[in-house]
Amino acid sequence: MDRVIWLIILPLLTAFSLGLLKLYFKRYFNYIIIISSTVHIILAFVVANQAIKEPIVYNLGNWSPLLGITLVIDSFSALFLLAIVTLAYLVTIYAIKFIKRDKLKYHTLSLLLLTGAIGIVITGDLFNLYVFFEIVSISSYALAAINKDKESFEGAFKYLILGSISGILILLAIILIYQSTGTLNLAQAAVKFKEVPRNLKVTILTFYLIGFASKFALVPLHSYLADVYSKASVTFTALSSGIVLKTSLYALIRIVYILFGVEFIIDSGLQDILIYWGTLTFIAAHLLAYQQNSLRRLLGYSSIAHMGYIIMAFALANKGGIIAGSYHLTNHIVMKGALFLATGIFIYNLKDDQISKLKGIGKTLPYSSLIFTIAALAIIGLPPFNGFVSKWLIIKQVLEANYSIPAFLILIGSLLSLIYYLRVIKELYSKANDDKSLVKEPLILKLPALTLGLFCLLLSLLPSFAPKLLETLPEFLIKQNNYINLLLRR
Amino acid sequence: MRRIYILALILILASLLFFTFYDLLHPTEFETDKTQISDYYIEHGVKETGAINLVTAILFDYRAFDTLGEATVIFIAVSAISLLATKERVLVSNTNFSPIVYQGISFIIPFLYILAFYLIFYGHLSPGGGFTGGVVIATTFVLLKMTFGIRYSREEKSLQRRSLIESCGAIGFIIVGILGIVRGDSFLANGQAGFDLGVAGQLLSAGIIPILNLFTGIKVGSGLAIIFHRLVREE
Repeated sequence: MDRVIWLIILPLLTAFSLGLLKLYFKRYFNYIIIISSTVHIILAFVVANQAIKEPIVYNLGNWSPLLGITLVIDSFSALFLLAIVTLAYLVTIYAIKFIKRDKLKYHTLSLLLLTGAIGIVITGDLFNLYVFFEIVSISSYALAAINKDKESFEGAFKYLILGSISGILILLAIILIYQSTGTLNLAQAAVKFKEVPRNLKVTILTFYLIGFASKFALVPLHSYLADVYSKASVTFTALSSGIVLKTSLYALIRIVYILFGVEFIIDSGLQDILIYWGTLTFIAAHLLAYQQNSLRRLLGYSSIAHMGYIIMAFALANKGGIIAGSYHLTNHIVMKGALFLATGIFIYNLKDDQISKLKGIGKTLPYSSLIFTIAALAIIGLPPFNGFVSKWLIIKQVLEANYSIPAFLILIGSLLSLIYYLRVIKELYSKANDDKSLVKEPLILKLPALTLGLFCLLLSLLPSFAPKLLETLPEFLIKQNNYINLLLRR
Repeated sequence: MRRIYILALILILASLLFFTFYDLLHPTEFETDKTQISDYYIEHGVKETGAINLVTAILFDYRAFDTLGEATVIFIAVSAISLLATKERVLVSNTNFSPIVYQGISFIIPFLYILAFYLIFYGHLSPGGGFTGGVVIATTFVLLKMTFGIRYSREEKSLQRRSLIESCGAIGFIIVGILGIVRGDSFLANGQAGFDLGVAGQLLSAGIIPILNLFTGIKVGSGLAIIFHRLVREE
């Protein structure tokens, strides 16, 4: 039972004590980080396994859920938990070699980022969610600027301004909920929320939507992302697109489904708005990605496009939509992680990520080019990779809900992504003019990237070897009463 | 032209927001079911937590987990600032104040410390608490540095020491929380884990609340002092 809270305490304690430990055990610094993360990932698997069988509720300080803060893990959050912790684990191992300056600060901040992300995923309290949201935001501003050059400062500053505005909107929404329901517990607020007048509901929804959407970069609110990504270190971009964007999406989904309920999504027209917004997002992002010369910017725009796909799936507000959305989301974390880590190896050698400079690197860096190619084919949505299965599920669900034009546009979007990813792959495997002899792929960089690349293949089998996980995903999301009864123990 | 568009957009959004809030704020009578939880806190708070100061009771007992999160936010801010604002050198202050300033500041510092620790240790009895006390501790550092100047040679070492103190404060907070688990209850449990709540109103009461206050005070104080040091710059 107490295992749940260790998911948060362990990285938090490690982050706080890294400074002290470094002073006395400088030689074992890397081992300390690896041991702590390994224990953490095992713990996460144990907890998630337990939560998929039966949801876990944990009351902090043993107060009743109404008075104190409650942590809840159902299968939806368990899936998020697994994906986030696995990615963070691989990126941490990668970073041990990749990050050379400010190692202590980097690891402290990335552990705190992970803590915050886990907190968002497992909390059942609205204000607690905001606190963890702030932890994630502030540590990602700092990580975005960790290279300390002019471009990354510029990106981090834009990120900071936009993030602060979105934070204020979310806080405003929480204040309005507290004023109208008198509680911060998500379940109790959902019970009382039924009596809230409609225009207030719409206001709260708008605040939440704009607040979180500017974090996970739906199109008119996306402008900061590419600037942040263009010079930031790849370990941060992998964490950002895998964890920061996804947890903001998680928070929005959880709040909209539990607080507002499925009927409200359909009645209020939110479904149409999100479907067309998602369509606009991925079309615009694919078109922008097409024009990029820098690989990191290209991948950043591709992340935005995939957030569009995922939000469309969740907007359908039915069982199939949730399953397709969560599946694609997990896949995207893995695929984008593999792409960024492979890009990291290119940057490690070339000190640059211009696509034109990648010429002939397929021969000198065979493993990372192979990983990049596999992950790129997966993210385009070609069989037999995981991206194909989940994208196909999304198209099927969108078609079934009678949105034929968006479903058709998903295919167009895939075609666009095929074009710009093929451009990169073509550069990788075309013949080089000069001989690059000084290139290397250290094992510790290769291994995490290879693992993620392997997952791209393995996860396409997820529906057949973990059907129970996918089946139970929507259980506490689509019927808000299930969640309310679980949290309030009724 | 661009400015006019932006201005128009801001005005439209602002008026939308204004009308929404105007509607909301009209009936300000709180219905009883909306103050249920605050009524509960007022009625049972002192008995359940042992703290007379209900704000502290909520901050460090009912919702202590949030406070841990807030302390973490400060920790991150400090890390971020010392990561990004590292300077190669700090200019030595050569402003000369009159002797009154030097004497006055030297005289006032001990009293400020007393005030800070009063605020921390009496956090569960009177207004104050770890955050407020920590800020007062930080002001003593700020005052000293402003009047007596900053010498770079000793600076890096004292900053390192201070960031260690900050880590210790944060670790202490978590360890006190873990004590709740060790005693067979949940994280950050106070009365439920069998900590002696004492007689409400006495200095040694309210279980873990004063200890949490102390650790928060240490953490916030050293954290804010670090932020000041990293950002100070003299022309």
